Amino acid sequence: MRLENFVEGTDTTRDGLTGNATAVLHEVAELLVALAERGETGIIDLGGMPLSSADKAWLAAKLGQGEVQMTLNLDGASEVRETAFHGVWWLVHHNEKGVLTGEFIEISSVPELVSAHPDDIRQAADKLGFLINDL
Amino acid sequence: MAGLAQHGVSRRSFLKFCTTLASAMALPPAAGLAMAEAMAAARRPSVIWLPFQECTGCTESITRSHSPTIESLIFNVISLDYQETLMAAAGHQAEEALQHAIKENFGKYILIVDGSVPLGQGGAYSTIGGRSNLETLKEVAKGAAAIVAMGSCAAYGGIPKANPNPTGAVSVSDVIKDKPIVNVPGCPPIPVVMTGVLAHYLTFGTLPELDKLGRPKAFYGETIHDRCYRRAFYDQGKFAKTFDDEGARNGWCLFELGCKGPVTYNACATTKWNGGTSWPVESGHGCLGCSEPDFWDAGSFYKALSMPADPLKTVAGAAAVGAAVGVAVSFANRAKKSAAKAAHETTTLPDLEK
Amino acid sequence: MGELQFLTWVRGTGLNLAISIFLLGVLVRIIEIYSLGRKKDLAEPRSVAGASGMNTVFRRSIPADGMLKTSPITYIGGYVFHIGLGVVVFLFAPHIKFFQDLLGFSWPGLPSQAVDFAAVLTIVALLLILIDRISKPVKRYLSTFQDWFTWTLTFLPVLTGWMAVQHLLLPYTTMLALHILTVELLLVFLPFTKLFHAFTVFGSRWYNGTVNGHKGVAV
Repeated sequence: MRLENFVEGTDTTRDGLTGNATAVLHEVAELLVALAERGETGIIDLGGMPLSSADKAWLAAKLGQGEVQMTLNLDGASEVRETAFHGVWWLVHHNEKGVLTGEFIEISSVPELVSAHPDDIRQAADKLGFLINDL
Repeated sequence: MAGLAQHGVSRRSFLKFCTTLASAMALPPAAGLAMAEAMAAARRPSVIWLPFQECTGCTESITRSHSPTIESLIFNVISLDYQETLMAAAGHQAEEALQHAIKENFGKYILIVDGSVPLGQGGAYSTIGGRSNLETLKEVAKGAAAIVAMGSCAAYGGIPKANPNPTGAVSVSDVIKDKPIVNVPGCPPIPVVMTGVLAHYLTFGTLPELDKLGRPKAFYGETIHDRCYRRAFYDQGKFAKTFDDEGARNGWCLFELGCKGPVTYNACATTKWNGGTSWPVESGHGCLGCSEPDFWDAGSFYKALSMPADPLKTVAGAAAVGAAVGVAVSFANRAKKSAAKAAHETTTLPDLEK
Repeated sequence: MGELQFLTWVRGTGLNLAISIFLLGVLVRIIEIYSLGRKKDLAEPRSVAGASGMNTVFRRSIPADGMLKTSPITYIGGYVFHIGLGVVVFLFAPHIKFFQDLLGFSWPGLPSQAVDFAAVLTIVALLLILIDRISKPVKRYLSTFQDWFTWTLTFLPVLTGWMAVQHLLLPYTTMLALHILTVELLLVFLPFTKLFHAFTVFGSRWYNGTVNGHKGVAV
């Protein structure tokens, strides 16, 4: 018996939309305005509200595909892709068993997870220095 | 984050872990970032882990979790100052480490306990370094900021407390009354519940919201039954009758095979085990109810909730007594009838004229 | 006492006690009543069509002439709740499982939604019967403590069972334990109250029918 055969009991119209996807899109729009005008980043947890698979498909279709697609190997694969709207990123996290562990929409110039941390950069600089010394 | 790198965990992996953990605890997404920062911060609270009358299953569950680096790293990052199974020191050295940690961090350390506390024979049933667990618990609890009772034994008494409880086992909250206690029951508990509680405390300095049994509502707020993927079959009345019959192979509800899902609060149905691989019902076995108090004494694991928990011992005897009394009464009635008949006096005309 | 411990008690000790008392009481009373037998009627038996024990058993299942119009709630409510109770008790899968454990055999049940529907009908019918008993002056005048008590004993198990399945009011474990407890109370008092009609109604009708049929009267 496959898990996917069972549907969560959300109220749906015949095309499977609950109406929650529209709400999420509104939130994305608001956060994007905040980013544009005040530089404030935002993040929406798609696992935090009831969204049917039709909802997610609708949202993905509305946000579209951008120019950037990244795969992160972090104890399981994570995919980061930019949507057709600059600053709106869609993140999907899996664990090593391939099970979905989280899905987020992040509104920022680049997702927090992707940019390198200053401390890490400092450490890397030292490390590269040592590597060159040993040449 | 130097500690993290030492354990082969990158900052990004850690951040990913924290955001998904926050999501699992229904915290806002920003909390994930806060968690990562708090846990990576330089000043981190000390954690003391005391193992009492336990089977070590809880420790195993944590360290054998899907991301052993993450879970065990938590304890290294947060300065796990005393953990008998995991620490290198032993004997007197270990005891010194414990005393040192207590003194250094008095009032601020988190105390994790797994295993029950036996009270029988003055506590002699379980001792460490010659001191009873009861004594050790009372002493170490004094300087703890909060106590986490890991596993059903520490939370409720668990298997040692099961009938007839030969060692007089009790739970941590039966002994300590003046400290905030979080119960993380399960036999063993799901690893991420443990890390979720610690992460919450390290980030916010408070314990997560608890139910009336002291369990974090984020993980123990719903019953297995209410989140079970086989629920549709329960509602349609489609039950597996035996293990591996047609119904079982079609994934039908395991109620008739003794599943205690309806009366058990835990996250197994949603969070699952072994990194989301599966959980008992999905693997074809009914829920044991292992995160509920005294589940060991709640009747057979294979008897449905609507069946008697124990064999009905006095019923046959009562039926026999009932039949006997009934027969006795019927004889008494007949005797009464014949006596009445015999005592029947005839009336004659002179009697009436009297 | 924790929720699960309460449930374990009612499923264990409580159930044992209740069924024991029930069986004891039922056997005492059945043997006591049926062993009384009948006084021999030495008159020549008359044979009139429609006058016999079996006839009376079935005839009394139908309201007498005009009674349905006078007291519709008594008859309709009565039938609805009896049938509904039968459906809920004997055709709900968890209950069938219980009987299987006691008797060693089982039978097919109905889907849970059908039983749920029957339970709601039963609850409504019982409430209407109660309201009727309170509002009809004669009925109220004739009612004794036992009438209200047995109504409560019958109503509570259906209500608590339905509430447990619907997850209403109290946490499921407690609601389920209360349901089993109310069933146990019903079992304990059944043999010693008018609820014992469950075992005597057909025997009683047959007796009346036979005795009067012997005299040539259809009752």
